[in-house]
Amino acid sequence: MALLGVLLGSSPAAGAPAKDGNVVTNFPDSLAERGSYNFGDMGSWIWGAETRDRQTCRFWKAFEIPDGGKVLRARLRITGDNEYILYLDGFELGRDAEWRHLYEYDLTTILTPGRHILTVEGYNSFNEAGMILGLRIGLADGRVIAVKSDASWVVGADGVPGWERVPDWQKMSSPPASWPAATVIAACGAGPWAVSPWAVDIVPVLHREVIPFWKSGWFELTMLLVSATLLIITIYTLTQLGLRMKAQRLLQVERARIARDIHDDLGMRMTELVLQGEVVQSELPETSRQRLQLAQICEDARGALRAMDEVLWAINPRRDNLREFTTYVCKYAQTFLKTTAITCVLEVDPELPAQSFDLPLRRTLLLAVKESLNNAAKHSRATEVVLQIHLRAQDLVVAVLDNGRGFEPQFARSDRNGLTNLQQRMAELGGQCQIASAPGKGCRVELVMPLLSQRRHFWTSRWFKQLTAFWAQKKLPARPSPAQTPK
Amino acid sequence: MNLPAKKTLPSRLKIALVEDQPKVRDNWCRLINSFPDLSCICACKSAEEALRVIPEVPPDVVLMDIFLPRMSGIECTARLKALLPRTQIVILTAMDDEELIFMALEAGADGYLLKRTKPEDLRTALLDVLTGGAPMTSEIARRVIASFRGKTPNRDTSLRLSTREEQILLLLTKGHSNKAIADKLELSVDTICHHLKHIFEKLHVSSRTEAAIRYLNLQNPGA
Repeated sequence: MALLGVLLGSSPAAGAPAKDGNVVTNFPDSLAERGSYNFGDMGSWIWGAETRDRQTCRFWKAFEIPDGGKVLRARLRITGDNEYILYLDGFELGRDAEWRHLYEYDLTTILTPGRHILTVEGYNSFNEAGMILGLRIGLADGRVIAVKSDASWVVGADGVPGWERVPDWQKMSSPPASWPAATVIAACGAGPWAVSPWAVDIVPVLHREVIPFWKSGWFELTMLLVSATLLIITIYTLTQLGLRMKAQRLLQVERARIARDIHDDLGMRMTELVLQGEVVQSELPETSRQRLQLAQICEDARGALRAMDEVLWAINPRRDNLREFTTYVCKYAQTFLKTTAITCVLEVDPELPAQSFDLPLRRTLLLAVKESLNNAAKHSRATEVVLQIHLRAQDLVVAVLDNGRGFEPQFARSDRNGLTNLQQRMAELGGQCQIASAPGKGCRVELVMPLLSQRRHFWTSRWFKQLTAFWAQKKLPARPSPAQTPK
Repeated sequence: MNLPAKKTLPSRLKIALVEDQPKVRDNWCRLINSFPDLSCICACKSAEEALRVIPEVPPDVVLMDIFLPRMSGIECTARLKALLPRTQIVILTAMDDEELIFMALEAGADGYLLKRTKPEDLRTALLDVLTGGAPMTSEIARRVIASFRGKTPNRDTSLRLSTREEQILLLLTKGHSNKAIADKLELSVDTICHHLKHIFEKLHVSSRTEAAIRYLNLQNPGA
């Protein structure tokens, strides 16, 4: 197919853009003008040892641009009979299938100092086959690097026994030993091919595309995975939240139902029984033994009703707020201290919000207040007890103060001090219990319960506190204890 | 204030009872009658019956259950108070629920009693109500203050709390007993009781309209 005479035929109009977008420069027919076109940079036509029809040939060549060498201009010209695909460092630069044209690539911007791999995949339809290439790199210091197609290339050609197929051969940094050197078929301008090409197709200037990391495949994949994970977590969390809210609502409904049942049924019946007991009692003679026994039974039943009131208060979801808690605690303190000689004084913040205050918190806090009041009534010999309830930042602070005889906190008998147990229970809910007392100075029990974070967070956990304490110890020099600081 | 003083109490205090449970009603009657100075002159099984019967036999004190079929005890209290302003109404409640008690007080009740109260305390409470000593806990006092503060200011000044009354209420919210307040303000306990009685009356008048709306909607707030 490739005949010398063809080149002498008619040629397309000069400067017309070819269909693939390349700029085509038609060559003048006159020899003088042909001579002005410098083909000295071109190598030879090369191919594998044997030429066959429908044969693919892979050419490989490495070259190096010295460190610090700035590329001023790099021009590569290539053509192949019948087809070629040109790769640089594994990336395809271009391809074409017209051996009568020469294709010119400007590699100025994409060649950098260092080692590069130039590979070409040639394909022969039938008859003669060859690939010709010339790369000329001009450096800023005047040096010129020339890479030409010659026997220094290695080749892996179909149909030639013994060469090793390499996947991604365009990228391999060194060819396998089984790849033979290329065979020079003809010099430039010699052999079956024309002296000068019909045209030189100038491929638009290639630029090294800098792919930012966020456009790179791995990043996009990672982001996709991260988004998918987040989405799944969100859906999961929302589902859990929904389920928990539903469970909470059901729990509240159920609590309300239990409270109503106890109140309407058990409470009413017990009240009736007490009443009946009182009536029977009133109809017995004053001095009878049964009357005394009945009085005791009625009193016990009243005690049971009082206990039931407290259970009702605890389980009724309507009481799950701060105001109800305050009301109840105040009433309890007053009722409890009425039976003693101690005056009860309430100091309650009048602006307490009707903020939600969940069952475990209010029950534990109530128990703690009861224990404190009990201690004051039993041991303090106080004449007055002050119950303070107020907000401090996001904490509810309940303090029980007595003006009794006080005690030395470290000598307080732990078995008699039920507050130790309560301190622990308060701590489990993120609260605190502080006892301040001195002989003759009364006693102050301060109970602090957080309102905002009802569940214990990581940073309020004991583990975290120990960690921070450990850190503080390590980082800070030993501080003088408060006792040593000068007044 | 033309209230019967302790000395001029009738020999037997006439008591009317409103309670829907027959057994309970019967027991209350027997219990009241077991006291020499109390007598149960009328026992009604519903609010409707109470409104029909009680005005014809005006008693000194009405004991009123809160949860009655159809019309609630609180609504009945308000209507009865309009018919018999001199009659004292004491609300009977099974549970110690300040919210309900306060509603009843707003509606015109003069006091309240827990159903499980000891008979002796019942007698004392009934006599106290007549002398103006409606019991007021710190929580009720707090609600009373809030109720007066929450009202529109441009009303009749006679319906506002006086400085003294507010002072007494504030001391009550701090948990002081009537006796302690009397000592603090250098007044007699009777004067304190008199003030409290007056506070309740103002509360009834000023809350009548608002309470009317509220108790009409009252179903069974229950537990």
